[in-house]
Amino acid sequence: MAPARRRRYRGGMSATLDSAAPPERGFDRFVAALSLRSVLLAMVLASLAAVLLNPIFVTPFPVLLGRMLVIALLLLLVFTAAGFWSVGWLPRWLVQVLAVVLTAPLATYLVYLPAVQGQVFEVLRHEGRLSGFVLITGTVLVVAPLLALGALYRERDAQARSQALGFALERSQLERQALDARLKLLHAQIEPHFLFNTLANVQALVESGSPQASAVLKSLIAYLRAAMPRLADERATLGDELGLVRAYLELMQMRMPDRLQYAIAVPDDLLGLRFPGTALLTLVENAVRHGIDPTEQGGRIEVSAQRAADGTLMLRVADTGAGLRESASPGTGLANLRERLAMFYGAAARLEIAENPPRGVVATLLCPDASAP
Amino acid sequence: MTPPTALIADDEPLLRERLCTLLQRCWPELAVVAQARNGREAVELFDQHAPQVVFLDVHMPGLNGIEAARSLARRAQLVFVTAFEQYAVQAFEQGAIDYLVKPIDEQRLADTVQRLQQQLARPVAAVPDALEAVLDGLSAELKRRAGAPAGHLQWIKASVGQSVRLIPVEQIAYLRADEKYTLVVWEGGEALIRKTIRELADELDPSRFVQTHRSVIVNLHQVQQVTRGANETAEVQLKGRRELLPVSRSYLHLFRQM
Repeated sequence: MAPARRRRYRGGMSATLDSAAPPERGFDRFVAALSLRSVLLAMVLASLAAVLLNPIFVTPFPVLLGRMLVIALLLLLVFTAAGFWSVGWLPRWLVQVLAVVLTAPLATYLVYLPAVQGQVFEVLRHEGRLSGFVLITGTVLVVAPLLALGALYRERDAQARSQALGFALERSQLERQALDARLKLLHAQIEPHFLFNTLANVQALVESGSPQASAVLKSLIAYLRAAMPRLADERATLGDELGLVRAYLELMQMRMPDRLQYAIAVPDDLLGLRFPGTALLTLVENAVRHGIDPTEQGGRIEVSAQRAADGTLMLRVADTGAGLRESASPGTGLANLRERLAMFYGAAARLEIAENPPRGVVATLLCPDASAP
Repeated sequence: MTPPTALIADDEPLLRERLCTLLQRCWPELAVVAQARNGREAVELFDQHAPQVVFLDVHMPGLNGIEAARSLARRAQLVFVTAFEQYAVQAFEQGAIDYLVKPIDEQRLADTVQRLQQQLARPVAAVPDALEAVLDGLSAELKRRAGAPAGHLQWIKASVGQSVRLIPVEQIAYLRADEKYTLVVWEGGEALIRKTIRELADELDPSRFVQTHRSVIVNLHQVQQVTRGANETAEVQLKGRRELLPVSRSYLHLFRQM
């Protein structure tokens, strides 16, 4: 994606511009990054260096201390400022350490300038000053980069810790989602409207002495047993699920014989695959409820399964019903189904909804190979 | 005296048959002159046969029982039949409108028949005053429950390969204008659709989708971070995506508080 890369590059440029001519906000951030802690630490270390260097310097101690403090604060400012300077191809830590190394001699030179009344070359001519300059620069060059690296290490450590916290948080959120999904499953999935309508039909069959009654009762029992609220059955197979789907479709066909036709075509060798219970039923129920039931003429539902060469299980529920309008409410069924698929198969499972020309909707479930025990 | 007549409307044939059988037992003189499979047929057959009593299932395809009743009201004695529409039962009770609950209890049907016989015996059929108000209320309620257009787009239809995919809007990361088309980018890929950004901005739920730029609409639930750029603009990065999307000056206020 070339445009995306170009965009990213532009993004980098604008950030650079931002810190080169910092607006108010950039300056605020800069001040915020200069914590009191870091300023105090720089001052303490500078004082310590001044005490250590004092015996070899002829300069009075307060002057030496002042110089060291100025150098330390200058370096701290440069170090912090460099942190905001993002040069695309250089790692940030390197920019910061390099900035400190380059600034060290300059800063030392700068603090010597007042002593020579601004005579630029005067510092180099005076032997005492020159050796002082070299000594201070040397000390600073040894201490400052070490300090800079230490600070960067601490920063990275803090980042790693916050990242670890982030991961822990994410994990606990996932765990809660999984629990929510199981609780949702526990709530009865049998709609009372479905149950009472079906019972009314069974009653009609029984009262009229129809020989169909017993078969229909068998389907209802199979459906109720499978749809009873319970925790996901770890050992459920695709075969179990198809039994449930068939029971449901038989019941619905008894209720609307003139409006519903259906066919189930699944190869026998797929029936033993592990499968998240009621995932396929949700799609078939949707096809009846939103596809067939709202139309006067009804339609046909086809359930099929096949296995791709890479082991992906592909399940299809196609109907020739009312179809979906773009404003149709997606309902909670599909959202729950997506959650459960993600729990059972991980992120690789997909649910795709498409039009089924000339009429209706086709839902395709793509599940990664779950044949492993 | 001509025998009383009735129409039964229910989309489930076994239930129509059973109601017929029960009526024969509790009201042998009643002639069921027609059976309808949906609300539209009920209205047609009513006009044809002009029965005095109509049994209407609430849940029927196409025109439902309540909608059908609105065009029959005051011309016949109505009895509603419902499986588990508690809200409907409540409304019927309040409006003193006759109803039966599925599976229909024979004793309960006998009571209803008795009431119907009394009402038919009077010179002018007494229709509950509240009938029309109750039907209007129920009709709106049924539409709401059927997931009637919430107003905002819930799916986007897009051609992907040979098929027309229905993409749930919550899976969409962003939409970007692409000449006459709009590029839809979602969890499962990207596709071009014919709608313009302007149309989409009007149709999508504004609490979830915001236009951040003349040519870009972003799903707020998928925003990872917003980076301020030069000259009062910004860039949005979405969760799990590398591309940066522009936020122009006039839309920047959307992210002020984020």
